[in-house]
Amino acid sequence: MPAPRAAVRAITGDRLSMRRTGYLELIWYKGMADLHAEAARAYVGFIWWVLEPLLYMGAFYVAFGLGLRGGGSHTLTFLLCGLVPWKWFSSTIQSGSNSIQANSGLIQQVYLPKYVLPWMVLVTNGMKFLIILGLLMLLVAALYGVALSWLALPVVVLVQLLLVAALASLAAALVPLVPDLSLVIDNGILVLMFVSGVFNDVSRLPPTLAHLLSFNPMVQVIEAYRAILLAKAWPAWDKLAWVALFSALLYGFALNLLRRFDRIYPKVMVGG
Amino acid sequence: MSGDTIIELKNVGVRYRRKAGFMRNNAFWALHDVSFDLRHGETLGVIGRNGAGKSTLLRLLAGILAPDNGEVLRKTERVSLLALQAGFIPALSGRQNAILSGILLGLSKAEVEARMDEMVRFAELEQFIDEPVRTYSSGMRARLGFTVAFQADPDVLLIDEILGTGDASFREKSSKAMRDKIASDKTVVIVTHYPETILDLCDRIVWVNQGVTVEVGEPRTVVEHYQQSLKQGGMRA
Repeated sequence: MPAPRAAVRAITGDRLSMRRTGYLELIWYKGMADLHAEAARAYVGFIWWVLEPLLYMGAFYVAFGLGLRGGGSHTLTFLLCGLVPWKWFSSTIQSGSNSIQANSGLIQQVYLPKYVLPWMVLVTNGMKFLIILGLLMLLVAALYGVALSWLALPVVVLVQLLLVAALASLAAALVPLVPDLSLVIDNGILVLMFVSGVFNDVSRLPPTLAHLLSFNPMVQVIEAYRAILLAKAWPAWDKLAWVALFSALLYGFALNLLRRFDRIYPKVMVGG
Repeated sequence: MSGDTIIELKNVGVRYRRKAGFMRNNAFWALHDVSFDLRHGETLGVIGRNGAGKSTLLRLLAGILAPDNGEVLRKTERVSLLALQAGFIPALSGRQNAILSGILLGLSKAEVEARMDEMVRFAELEQFIDEPVRTYSSGMRARLGFTVAFQADPDVLLIDEILGTGDASFREKSSKAMRDKIASDKTVVIVTHYPETILDLCDRIVWVNQGVTVEVGEPRTVVEHYQQSLKQGGMRA
């Protein structure tokens, strides 16, 4: 048997892309299909997209809003401006971290560049978030009215999308290689929730602590939503720019990992 | 050009790692040393017993896996498996699944929609196409899966078993459709462990045993040698 030598001209995954339409149509259609499937599985269908976050937020309102702060409409909107983006953040990273395993059958049948898999989750959860954000905007408009600063909302949503995409892709890239990480991620998200200013105004904490927490990108994102919706002010653009830059770098790193292990993942699934 | 080599495998090996405890992995070579070339327009059969590495070989050709040893040279990138029911979501309708699966296989949504009526007729699902796939019988699901997968038109089509799918009448129809496509000048690789089923279809046959190419050549000769080895080796081969 001749001595085998290492692969010298293995074509990389991207050059194997065999479609003219690119992967945008696939990501969009699959993301929306998963959304439909979720609704089709439940009795009351798409009502769950609204009901589930309402229950989730209701639980936190009872525990933290009424319990710790005595309730009131300001407490309610303050909490919602934290919880709505937080829910999008945490659920997408958790589903995203599982996105390669969830499609393990598929990636044995069809070659797909792995970066598309977390994006399917990003579409599904992003649509759900937009519905809930719309409801929150209606509530805020009814209570305090609309302000010019609302024009900045799409920017904040896009910055958060970039952040969520980066973290979900990074988790997706790492979890198949180190399955134990999914436990770390679950617990990490729980801890992060309490230092992201979901329940409290970070700027009112002692200065050193506030400064430390301001490095948490979700603190900046949540503060931006609150500035726009509650204070009728423009968000802190410099802080948002910092979050966007951080997210872009992180996404680049995640993409690099997904490319590097592109054709290792299908093997890991089999070996599991 | 017909007859030109479009994919060449040179001493290819593929290794899986199995977790064998904390920080320990066992390496398992599904393919050790496989070499052959695939020529434009031909139909190449791959035969071997269960566990010979045939499925891994198909995934390697499809670009799903990369070789750990040796090299794969390609002149085409549009190589794909006849992927039955790829990405099906049971809660969605047959129509939605056909579109989803079609996009996964490289078609555009518009292309799938343009062919929808024809596909529904071929799959004999006129009454059911807008019902959720979870309500389908396995035969209906197989009919839809085959019909959609068959729409994909790669340069090299990889087929895992030619037997056809679904209930008896559809099995005949799908098998005939496959045979027609194979008989055209499309480049096809068929993997099977029933060599008789592909004898008349293939231009050449590759025999793989335990991850190593044993013989490549004229179908009847290779199949004859393969069957002799089965008899000699008895249950063990």
